[in-house]
Amino acid sequence: MSTKTFAAIDVGSFELSMKIFEFNGKNKIREIDCISKKLDLGSDSYARGKIDLKKVEELCETLQEFKNSMESYGVEEYKAYGTSAVRESKNMDILLDHIEKATGIKIDVLSNSEQRFLDYKSVAAKGEEFRKILEGSTAIVDIGGGSIQISLFENDTLVSTQNIRIGVLRVNEILSQASVPTSRYRDMCGEIVMPSLDSYKKLYVKDREIKNLIIIDDYLSPSAVRKAVEKNADPVMTVKEYDRFISDADNKNSTELSKAFGIESTIVPLFIISSQLVKWVASILGAEKIWTPGVRLSDGMAYEYAEKIKMFRGEHDFERDILASAYSMASRYECSRKKCEHLEKIATGLFDSLKNVHGLTKREKLYLRIAAILADVGKYVSLENFGETGYQIVMNSEIIGLSHREREIVANIVRYNVSEYDYNNSRADGDLDSASVIIVAKLAAILRVATGLTGGYIGKIKDFKPVLKGNQFLINADSDMDLTMEKAFFESKAGFFTEVYNITPVLNTKRS
Amino acid sequence: MAAVNYLNPKYFVNRELSWIKFDHRILNEARDKSNPLFERIKFLSISASNLDEFFMVRIASLMDQLNAGYDKPDIAGMLPDEQLTSLSVAIHELMDLQYTTLNRSIMPALEDVGLTIIKRHENLSEEDGKFVDKYFEENVYPVLTPMAVDSSRPFPLIRNKTLNIGALIHKKEGDKTMDFATVQVPGVLPRIVELPKKGKQTRIIFLEEVIERNIEKLFLNYTVVCSYPFRIMRNADLSIEEEEAADLLKEIEKQLKRRQWGEAIRLEVEAGMDKNLLKKIKKELQISDENIYSIDGPLDLTVFMKVYGLKGFDRLKIKPHTPVQNPAFNGHSDIFSVIRKGDVLLHHPYESFDPVVEFVRRASKDKNVLAIKQTLYRVSGNSPIIEALSEAAENGKQVTVLVELKARFDEENNINWAKMLEQAGAHVIYGLVGLKTHCKITLVVRRESDGIRRYVHLGTGNYNDITARLYTDIGLLTCKESFGEDATAVFNMLSGYSEPMFWNKLTVAPLWLKDKFLSLIAREKNNAKAGKKAEIIAKMNSLCDRDIIAALYEASSAGVKIRLIVRGICCLKVGIPGVSENITVRSIVGNFLEHSRIFYFENGGNSEVYCGSADWMPRNLERRVEIMFPIENKELKAQVIHILDCLLQDTGKAAMLNSDGDYTKIDRRGKKLFIAQDYFCEEAAKESLSAKDEVSKSNRTFTPEIHK
Repeated sequence: MSTKTFAAIDVGSFELSMKIFEFNGKNKIREIDCISKKLDLGSDSYARGKIDLKKVEELCETLQEFKNSMESYGVEEYKAYGTSAVRESKNMDILLDHIEKATGIKIDVLSNSEQRFLDYKSVAAKGEEFRKILEGSTAIVDIGGGSIQISLFENDTLVSTQNIRIGVLRVNEILSQASVPTSRYRDMCGEIVMPSLDSYKKLYVKDREIKNLIIIDDYLSPSAVRKAVEKNADPVMTVKEYDRFISDADNKNSTELSKAFGIESTIVPLFIISSQLVKWVASILGAEKIWTPGVRLSDGMAYEYAEKIKMFRGEHDFERDILASAYSMASRYECSRKKCEHLEKIATGLFDSLKNVHGLTKREKLYLRIAAILADVGKYVSLENFGETGYQIVMNSEIIGLSHREREIVANIVRYNVSEYDYNNSRADGDLDSASVIIVAKLAAILRVATGLTGGYIGKIKDFKPVLKGNQFLINADSDMDLTMEKAFFESKAGFFTEVYNITPVLNTKRS
Repeated sequence: MAAVNYLNPKYFVNRELSWIKFDHRILNEARDKSNPLFERIKFLSISASNLDEFFMVRIASLMDQLNAGYDKPDIAGMLPDEQLTSLSVAIHELMDLQYTTLNRSIMPALEDVGLTIIKRHENLSEEDGKFVDKYFEENVYPVLTPMAVDSSRPFPLIRNKTLNIGALIHKKEGDKTMDFATVQVPGVLPRIVELPKKGKQTRIIFLEEVIERNIEKLFLNYTVVCSYPFRIMRNADLSIEEEEAADLLKEIEKQLKRRQWGEAIRLEVEAGMDKNLLKKIKKELQISDENIYSIDGPLDLTVFMKVYGLKGFDRLKIKPHTPVQNPAFNGHSDIFSVIRKGDVLLHHPYESFDPVVEFVRRASKDKNVLAIKQTLYRVSGNSPIIEALSEAAENGKQVTVLVELKARFDEENNINWAKMLEQAGAHVIYGLVGLKTHCKITLVVRRESDGIRRYVHLGTGNYNDITARLYTDIGLLTCKESFGEDATAVFNMLSGYSEPMFWNKLTVAPLWLKDKFLSLIAREKNNAKAGKKAEIIAKMNSLCDRDIIAALYEASSAGVKIRLIVRGICCLKVGIPGVSENITVRSIVGNFLEHSRIFYFENGGNSEVYCGSADWMPRNLERRVEIMFPIENKELKAQVIHILDCLLQDTGKAAMLNSDGDYTKIDRRGKKLFIAQDYFCEEAAKESLSAKDEVSKSNRTFTPEIHK
């Protein structure tokens, strides 16, 4: 059976790591090697806004070593991702170019939501364990260097995901700038993180009770996993057990801590912050169980790659999570769920029937669906100019699983669903490349037609059958109500469609 | 009852004094008339070369401590000066015994079997005298550099460990002031000068006697008043000993900068040396009386290794053992497929080291092998392993080699071949800062039809095909995924990467090994307390870690039966009431150097067996990279337990440690003579034969030889 080897490189905030994976076609991902080196890029980025050149050289050297290591396994493909430290560095582009020239390794920078989505996938790669824990209400707490991401799940579905800028390195920066000795980290940590966590609870958690926490972090998890392995158990603890676990850290100096938890002394402060963060998050959510699967971003990269080469099919439906997170956002801006669903359904129907015309993929269909769900969020701010406000809201929100570019596409679809299409602005405004501009236009055109069909009232059109005939797009709608208004509205919306596809949409109504 | 403080220094033996006892045990083999005569002289020579090393490293280090004003007591509560005083007495005793053994027992016995050693040139017959004079003129004279000391010529540098002849001379005419003169007995010439045979009798004289006889020829215008051989030992090994505490190292480093190069720490002189001559040497070398050894016999007994090599005496030596093939490899040419069938345990030197060499060699040529990684501590001169590694690199494999440059006395050799490997394209890591890499591990990464497979060799001994014929060691070949993952993690750590999230099978020093041992010992203690069967059997080279010993005492007090097989230093005391009554210690000094480290823990009936590269010494557990690995396969585990059992039954070469601190050979009354090493030789031969038989019987076809 053919096997494939893949290297996943994670240029993290505090550590450079590479995992080598093997896929043997049996729906099985096997980790062959994992190498990592501490390299604190985060402190440079977060505190000074730029990664120091010396660090860049170190980074290049290590990447070169990674390359040799890849060769020693005959690795066929690799992916290298930079996360928040690279993302937040002002000299990012120069940096990446330099690294690629020096090492031949191309680093792609992940947006926060992409990164979190991959982290999330890395947990999902755990399969059965993940499915089981998700049966109860669960929060994935993804602790990064710059921020933490809390994603809430109910009934196996994502209900909310939020980014809070209280990452481990950031908190550490604050504490060390305030000259707080490590011995006082435990107490001071709460003071820094609690205000943000309190607002988070008020805004997003409300009365929800979250039973399980899944922790993704680089500092606490290894020790927790190690402890579990020693006991031959799963790394799941009750909150009480967790408290006991971290209370081992009380009254210990750095050396003792490093021995007790098997961590390097340089990591001790970060370990304390991470363990405190988990403690506080558990307390505001009222969690009972804590699972530290010990996964890294690279596990998610392997999952993603395996999906791509069709050597793995996970059980979990991630698209549903992305849509769910769009719905929860829509509901935050008081959009009617029914209406959103209705528009999404019609837009999807139109998209499918135009398959041969637009030539877009499943992924782009997802943008359309999200844009349909979020079409009206702008109304929360302004009923008049809600295309623009909708665009702003989407651009400033996190939609898990979407890259920055993808989010911008969605935001533009939302915008041009109502606003007049701006031929210059669409390009000059953002960073969209011309391919994306075309996608925006094509999908906005479909969404406009769909919006025209809904006419603002749900349930008027019972059923519709779109048919492509010559250069006409016939939409035969079934309704037991008068559709005169819809027709008029439809026509006002159809012009842009004709312009984009050179096909005229025609609404034929049939009273049933 | 008050709790016992198991760390009390009175429960410990000073490690240097314990080492002297070990050298005594080697010397005892030279005294043991049941050993073939030439084996006895070999042991005599070993006891001498060991002592030389002990001086250069340990005594030197103690003197450094003294000079640096280091005043922390050792494990047994002794300060450096106390240790030096006791050692001086003990070493004088040891050396006296060496020479009585030589003079009273070995020399007469040699004479009887046809080897005469002419002790003094004065005893040469006229004819023999002419012979050696001619030899002197033709071979020796041209390479000698005599040096005289007077007001215009300073005292020359006398090189470490060299043999010299010191003389007092004065001018034949004019001023009759006594001057000191010296000439080095050249190391480039053989120390043994063979005289023409007299009948069947082989006759030899040592080179220094030949030079002494002709010394007048070196100082033509002078009268030589007297001449005597002498030898000095210097604190020449200036690299800081890794064995000492970190604070001491700093202190000594400071001192070193201030101190002159290579202070003399031992002076050996021939007994009866002229007092004025001795006084002169003593003054120039600034050496005190307790460090002067006046010797009745030839200086530097390591020469007896050369005597051992004299032709015509094979009947007085043990027939050299030829290692046999491990049965798993009989009839199989593909080492990888053998390992895939199951783990293989190698017991050297009874079983051949060839599979280990073959493992690397095959990997270097196998087209499916992607990478080879190996740690090298001490390798042989023309190491086939190095050759294979460099070929592998040339064949485009990823070769990573960690070369321990700090392996004592081997530095130069190591640098040479490390450079050669680098030129061939291997990635060479020259050791780790602050740590010696002592573990013995090889990893071969191979791409197979069902994916990457890793083959691992783990051992207790160095990758040295020569010493593998003389040292007893254990090796394990496996391709179990859990071992493969850990092996990869070891090399990642050696390359400077972070530790793995967890280890499957291996335990690595300095980070985890000591704790692991302590927890294994504690588990036995708890089992004993809970009324379960509790036992520890541990075999190693040296035992001197304070915490481990204290843990053993605690376990013993709880009722754990502890049987230790410690070849060399043992700082533990047996038979202390309430402390170590359940502990026995035996030391095996045999033809092969006992080198394997094996650890057995009863674990309440579910016994665990481990092998490894580490002794229970602070340097191994705290300042070296070491690996301990479990033997899990049922059959292989039984084999290792069998090895321990045999060693524990040895009545021939084992000496037991008594509660008074002495070692005595096992009282054989009512017991059969059983020499474990001999038994292993026979057993290995038998097993290999029977396995060959099986292979030949099961083969129903013949295999034609292919002419290559």
